[in-house]
Amino acid sequence: MWALLLFLAAAGVSVRAAEAPGATEFHTNVLPILQNYCFDCHGEGASKGKVAFDQFKSDQDLLENRELWWKAMKNLRAGIMPPAKKARPTAEEQEQIVHWVKTSVFGINPQDPDPGRVTLRRLNRAEYHNTIRDLLGVDFNTQEAFPPDDTGYGFDTIGDVLTLPPMLLEKYLNAAEKIVGQAVPVVPETMAKKIVTGNRFEGLGWDGALNLSYYKPTSVSNTVTMKWPGKYQLAVDLMANEKYVDNVFDYNKCRLIFQVDGRELLRQEYNREGDRRFHYDFDQDWTAGDHVMSFQLQPLTPDQPQTRTLTLQINSVTIRGPDAKEHWVRPDHYARFFPKNVPTGATARRHYARELLGGFARKAFRRPVDDKTVDRLGALAESVYNQPGKTFEAGIAQGMVAVLASPRFLFREEGAEPDSGKERYPLVDEYALASRLSYFLWTSMPDDELMRLAGEGRLRQDLSAQVARMLRDKKSEAFVRDFTGQWLRARDIQDWPVDPRSILAREEKFDPERARLRKRFHELNDKSDESLTKAEKDELAGIRSTLFKNFGGPSRVNFDWELRFDMRQETEKVFDYVLREDRGLLELLDSDYTFLNHRLAAHYGITNVDGNEMRRVTLAPDSPRGGILTEGTVLVVTSNPTRTSPVKRGLFILDNVLGTPPPPPPPNIPPLEDAAKGATNHALSLRDTLALHRKDALCSSCHNRMDPLGLAFENFNAMGMWRPAEYNEPIDATGALITGESFADVRELKRILVTRHAKDFYRTLTEKMLTYALGRGLDFYDVETVDQIVARIESSNGRPSALLSGVVESAPFQKCRRARSGQSVALNLDNP
Amino acid sequence: MKRNDIRSENVADRTAGGFNRRRFLRGLGACVALPAFASSAPTKLLAASSAGKLAATATGAPLRTAFLYFPNGAIPGEWWPKQDGTDFDLSRTLEPLGQFRRQIQVLGELDDRSALPQDDGSGDHARANGTFLTSVRIKKSATDVHAGISIDQVMARDVGHLTRFPSLELTCETSRLSGACDSGYSCAYQYNLSWSSPTTPMTAEANPGQVFERLFGAGPPGERIENLQRRRQEQRSILDFVLDDTRQMQRRLNPRDNDKLDQYLTGVRELEIRIQKAERLGDPKDPKVDSPPAGIPASYGEHLELMFDILTLAFQSDSTRVATLLLAHDGSNRSFSEIGIPEGHHDLSHHFNDKAKIQKVSEIDLWYVTQFARFLQKLDQTRDVDGNSLLHNSMILYGSGNADGNRHTHVNLPLVLAGAGGGTLAPGRYVRHGSKPAANLFLSMADRMGLENLPRFGDSTGRLGNI
Repeated sequence: MWALLLFLAAAGVSVRAAEAPGATEFHTNVLPILQNYCFDCHGEGASKGKVAFDQFKSDQDLLENRELWWKAMKNLRAGIMPPAKKARPTAEEQEQIVHWVKTSVFGINPQDPDPGRVTLRRLNRAEYHNTIRDLLGVDFNTQEAFPPDDTGYGFDTIGDVLTLPPMLLEKYLNAAEKIVGQAVPVVPETMAKKIVTGNRFEGLGWDGALNLSYYKPTSVSNTVTMKWPGKYQLAVDLMANEKYVDNVFDYNKCRLIFQVDGRELLRQEYNREGDRRFHYDFDQDWTAGDHVMSFQLQPLTPDQPQTRTLTLQINSVTIRGPDAKEHWVRPDHYARFFPKNVPTGATARRHYARELLGGFARKAFRRPVDDKTVDRLGALAESVYNQPGKTFEAGIAQGMVAVLASPRFLFREEGAEPDSGKERYPLVDEYALASRLSYFLWTSMPDDELMRLAGEGRLRQDLSAQVARMLRDKKSEAFVRDFTGQWLRARDIQDWPVDPRSILAREEKFDPERARLRKRFHELNDKSDESLTKAEKDELAGIRSTLFKNFGGPSRVNFDWELRFDMRQETEKVFDYVLREDRGLLELLDSDYTFLNHRLAAHYGITNVDGNEMRRVTLAPDSPRGGILTEGTVLVVTSNPTRTSPVKRGLFILDNVLGTPPPPPPPNIPPLEDAAKGATNHALSLRDTLALHRKDALCSSCHNRMDPLGLAFENFNAMGMWRPAEYNEPIDATGALITGESFADVRELKRILVTRHAKDFYRTLTEKMLTYALGRGLDFYDVETVDQIVARIESSNGRPSALLSGVVESAPFQKCRRARSGQSVALNLDNP
Repeated sequence: MKRNDIRSENVADRTAGGFNRRRFLRGLGACVALPAFASSAPTKLLAASSAGKLAATATGAPLRTAFLYFPNGAIPGEWWPKQDGTDFDLSRTLEPLGQFRRQIQVLGELDDRSALPQDDGSGDHARANGTFLTSVRIKKSATDVHAGISIDQVMARDVGHLTRFPSLELTCETSRLSGACDSGYSCAYQYNLSWSSPTTPMTAEANPGQVFERLFGAGPPGERIENLQRRRQEQRSILDFVLDDTRQMQRRLNPRDNDKLDQYLTGVRELEIRIQKAERLGDPKDPKVDSPPAGIPASYGEHLELMFDILTLAFQSDSTRVATLLLAHDGSNRSFSEIGIPEGHHDLSHHFNDKAKIQKVSEIDLWYVTQFARFLQKLDQTRDVDGNSLLHNSMILYGSGNADGNRHTHVNLPLVLAGAGGGTLAPGRYVRHGSKPAANLFLSMADRMGLENLPRFGDSTGRLGNI
């Protein structure tokens, strides 16, 4: 007995009277595995990377060191540890470790995991826009009105990070006024209005603006038929547009003549006006019957170069009248906001006001509203409509402004389902669930059906049917746009700086004469003017004219907003297709198709695609394209303005596909190109330049993970175009992952990702989507939730439907932590 | 304390709505002596009373402070003059400031040591931007932001009640990329200069038209003031309503969520105060210029110019006396095709002694200074109420939180202080201050703004003399 104890003591195993079960499991199941595979570097005196698994002072210390075990688990799962050349634990052994970490260190109960806590979320810009659209039918320009939202973990849905500075509150208030002013009529009757949009002047059958070029004489007209004679007001709304071109100005002028029934009402000349808006009002006395309105554009400067595509955009001619009251009509959309006639008596009015505002507030606050609030709203409205000169409708409008300014509109308040109090984590109440669903899948407020089900307490039980319905709804396009826009950074393609000339210059065939000229140019140009001889000055001028013949002219590739838009569409449509057709998620990594139109196909060097419509195109069997990593958006936003960045591309894959981002770089790293000093006639390829930096062990520890991945994509230049060579050297796209697999080119890399790293991808995508949906970053207690969803995805053969239902049915999505008092906080409507 | 032309207002006398409004207004003090500028007597010279020394010059004109930030430091070889003192030579980068030689001072050897890495590793851009006006170590976290209150907000707290807007936060940075920002720091640090509390960045306005509207009202000249007044009327009842709503919500929320709601409440209070101020100070005089075009100009240079115009107007109309303007966030990778530089600014700034790159970065530095010179010109050409130029009655700090962008240093920051501070500054020199914290400068500026009792700011070690 004593000998046994001594032996155990000598072996360094701690023996306690009552050991925590977690510690026992560790010593029995986990420690032997660690000793076997890890202790070479992380135990018995060794602590590579400052990690050691046997330096704990106590069992409690051991169990409390969440950070360490979480990192270890992530590295283990990603296959980064043990390193590729060493022996690896079996799947079962890995599972033992993971299980121990999850239960004993993280303390997760798989049946009832901690749902975490989301800080009160403010509506972000996109959510505000869509909510207003659905609530009032107004398309409010939030991009212009509100500053961009702060992001966290790559998304703009994170509650903690969405602040509300005073300036923004002011904007919300102004926005509320503008929106209600635009949407809600404040008079019961008004002059009849007829809007004739520009398009109609050309005889086209749909509404839209009409663009007339400054450079072409044009004549268009439209005939309107008026039922009644009388005084009419005509309002002409137009804009003078130009397409901005750097360093070049356009001095063309034109004249616009607007005539009605042959009489000239407007004769105006326009220069380049810089997208300025013009508005002209005319009073007309019209008989009943037909009236012809016409626009005539006369170019005035035929000899001026036409450089900026100047156009006059005729938006509309609005005809109001006749002004006689007997012909007045209900304003547009009146019935939407005022379904009944306004009563005359004060009590009846009060009643109607409460009805209108109560209903509106319920929708806007996304849950039932207490009587007191409705009372106050009614009082507010009354204080307005009782003023002389103010209508009842104006009072209601003011009440609506107050609703839109309220924190109950701007923030997504959530309550918990009232329950027995026995459950550790209550469910979020049905209205909160409705909002969570709608903001996740529609980036907007719940619709009538979701609200109705929530009111009846039947939303939760109808969950999958509702999710399916929501996906079928067109509003789910917002989910595709906003999620891919941020996960794949497709949003950034719009403004990403791209310099086509410099990018293409790297692909030019080497011209020794040109290189010599360039070198000579720098030599001479660096000297001051005075020190040059006449001969040198002449030489310099000659070199200049040779080298810079094409300076300022357009580049071979026009990387304009249309192409950028096409690229964004490609990314969105691919994701949309996989989502809606419930195709395997792995098709996002590698597929035999993508979405193209003629322009994008030409850019990619793919033939036989005509027309402007984006459509699914099956790629050639040996095509390197297919999957998110070869989409234009990804290739461009992982590049610098003048060249590709294999490091950024590698990092993108680690971040967004494999889920194993490296730690941030140490400070004061000198960048890349400088190492290419001493290059001879031409610059080194990026592969060679990067190799120089991976000689240092400090750098290579991370760069060995990123660089090979990014270098595999070197055939795609910084505009996403395919190129066989750079600086005259054929591109070498071979490499190996840190987990050991090697590949010959990008096709093989994608195959490896699909066959060997599917689970990593599922996990990463799940984490991203959960973060987006929950509005918070994931913490250690979410590991089990993620694992359960990944298991679901795997058993469904990688279908997006499993991912979506996994997210929506998960504990963090369905439940919340109890409020401080231990009671679930129901939003008590009788006593707020 | 009361002079002929100064209206003294006992604010509590004003028709206060419920008890709420009084509570908010307590902070304004019972008796405030004000020089009445806004609309009533713009050309009268008013002697300031002892209490009115806040943000005012000796002649009684308003004293303004503005902080302008440019990114990624400046090439030191081209920035620093070779000769100090009053005979300093204008370096290549600072050459556009030639005509303002006697109205600027080049500040040497001021440091922002809070931006040094210490144990936090990488993230110098977040630190440079985030500490420039806060002078404290910022918390390295992607979501849990914690900086400090910035000097402009410290000033605004004390002098903000004198003007319709306590301060103005402006920016010409329009890009906001998705994905992560600098090395694990929240994006908030890189896109905000001004912080009203350690956790509340003061989001800046990028749209010049909207700033204009906010200051002077919407619509064409002539209708603006009416629009402002009408809006104010309507806002009152709305604010009352939402305050009630908020108080009820507060009872239901847990502390962390209530912090968010507090931000909302602060905004409401500010609006309330502005309404009160409008009654006290009157409406601005309509500047009688066309409203700036809607939207953000396509050309960056135009955007800057427009923003400078509006800031000049804001100062001229005494709409505010404290402003910040972020020209571009630190780490900005903007390409400057307007001067033929397609590569990104940030990429270039890590030149590692490549001459061609250094040259390009210098061009960019020069471009920024050229725009700054235009602003100074506007200020110089605008007459203030006491006959001096606006520039004379201002303190405009132009600088960056990164010194040598190549090596991410934060000592010997590139800083230029323009203006005479109403006569309290001695410009026309290049002075090397011997490795002092930039926060010392801020304290001295705060002194001139009338905040005499500030014991300390950020990592300050005292006041900065010789400015």
